[in-house]
Amino acid sequence: MTSPTLAETLSLERLEVNLFRGTTPDKDRRQRIYGGQVIAQSLLAAYETVEDRVCHSLHCYFIRPGDPSIPIVFEVDRSRDGGSFTTRRVIAVQHGQQIFNLAASFQVAEDGYEHQSDMPEAPAWDGVEDDAEVRRRAWANGPPADLDWIDREQPIEMRTVDGKYEGVSPDPREPHQQVWFRARHPIGDDAYMHRVILAYASDMSLLGTAIRPHGVTWRTPGFQTASLDHAMWFHHPTDFNEWHLYAQESPSASGGRGFNLGYIYRASDGVLVATCAQEGLMRMRKPKV
Amino acid sequence: MSETQAPETEGQDETLVETLQLERIEENLFRGTTPDNSPGRIFGGQVIAQSLLAAYETIEARVAHSLHCYFIRPGDPTVPILFEVDRSRDGGSFTTRRVVAIQHGKQIFNLAASFKDPEEGFHHQAAMPAGPHWSELKDQMEVMRELMKDAPEKMKAWLSRPMPIEMRSQDARTYWMDGPKEPSSQNWFRCRTPIGDNAHMHQVILAYASDMNLLSTAMRPHGVHWQTPGFQSASLDHAMWFHKPTDFNQWHLYVHDSPSAADGRGFIRGQIYAEDGTLVASVAQEGLLRMKPAK
Repeated sequence: MTSPTLAETLSLERLEVNLFRGTTPDKDRRQRIYGGQVIAQSLLAAYETVEDRVCHSLHCYFIRPGDPSIPIVFEVDRSRDGGSFTTRRVIAVQHGQQIFNLAASFQVAEDGYEHQSDMPEAPAWDGVEDDAEVRRRAWANGPPADLDWIDREQPIEMRTVDGKYEGVSPDPREPHQQVWFRARHPIGDDAYMHRVILAYASDMSLLGTAIRPHGVTWRTPGFQTASLDHAMWFHHPTDFNEWHLYAQESPSASGGRGFNLGYIYRASDGVLVATCAQEGLMRMRKPKV
Repeated sequence: MSETQAPETEGQDETLVETLQLERIEENLFRGTTPDNSPGRIFGGQVIAQSLLAAYETIEARVAHSLHCYFIRPGDPTVPILFEVDRSRDGGSFTTRRVVAIQHGKQIFNLAASFKDPEEGFHHQAAMPAGPHWSELKDQMEVMRELMKDAPEKMKAWLSRPMPIEMRSQDARTYWMDGPKEPSSQNWFRCRTPIGDNAHMHQVILAYASDMNLLSTAMRPHGVHWQTPGFQSASLDHAMWFHKPTDFNQWHLYVHDSPSAADGRGFIRGQIYAEDGTLVASVAQEGLLRMKPAK
């Protein structure tokens, strides 16, 4: 049996005109739901209520940890169907409580003024080692459950430019990084699914930028990290089965929070296809007395 | 969608804190108004600020660290705005709120925001870029008054009324005059009227001011501005992250750049620095930028 594609695992059941239900794939049922999954499913739910318009931006909050063992219900509010723009809000609910909200805007594609920042210099994707390989090496003597997890095929191929670090106490580095990524499975011809899956992938690695100067990783004992919000602007349509450069920087960390910006460029022609912004929790747990 | 220019006509006596004030109608329901002298649409920053205030009214002691908004319909300055607050979560560390602003039975705007207790921890920040100091720059209104010195008396009187936010920049009001420019810009700004001791009011008024001048940075390479005939511009969304508390009666540097314009939209990011170089907030906004199709 072939494993389901990402498009299949994200698919929703329509319960009512504005009400949808999604699930978390068995293989991802670790402690919490991956944030990008909820972003992607909420965007899909919004798309199910929109005709012929394209999402150009979304803004989300992660409110409570998602429970991977039960379905998620998505409630869509049809805020506006206007002449040029359509606006939607989506609330993701589990156990009777809001775990997540998304607001998104959709428009008819149009021509007009164009400018963009240049794609930064980066080593080509085909000369960078796959993150899964790095992780396999770094975790070779780790617990069997972790090894089992890393041997599973990931839906997003990722190649971190200056080498993914999987230890617990790295040397401090600059608060910026570059990651090549693309969807492993064919997404197909639906342009909106490329945006949905790009949104899914955009929650990966971004928060890692803010922690680089501080000598910690998500594996450092006592270190606590979680996405708090996520915003994304889609500037141009793209084919996310092709390689893209995710150039990330963190202008600020303070008060237990790190702020990150990410720019997604298409490898083949350097077009800036999307921009992301995310704030994340980053703190050492207080020692228990 | 919202007006991108703040009203340039505040009453002599009224502080911005008073202008933005809300009436509590029910526990989670508030009403605000627009100053009499506003132009045709409501300034976007006003709705951001009032929505953030409405959310703050339902929260004890915690401090906003981020907000995300959409401008959905043009605001009508002639009727009050209703703000409905949804208490999404009161958690152990974080409080989350959503606010919907309503006029004529329709949603004109939504905001989601998150609040927490202050804490210590990891720290880094981007350095403040170089640029002319506020003391070397002219007030934007003075620049406008010089440009329009031959305008009718009524217009000149309008331009001479006090602004709630003082703005100083190299060319934010004149950038289109000598050809296309880089999509980046800086301005100094501060609130002219006293904000007082409430730390959250400084955030609210910083949010108000953060919607000013931003969108024009995306217009700079294209030689258009908000008064170009046929040109249409409006804020579509607005996001803001408060990194540090600050006193917005002091001068701040607002640095913006626009990484993208495409598809009738311009995207701008902004960083707000206190005069000592502390990065106090980051902003991101997308706006409509297009020429109306010829009739």
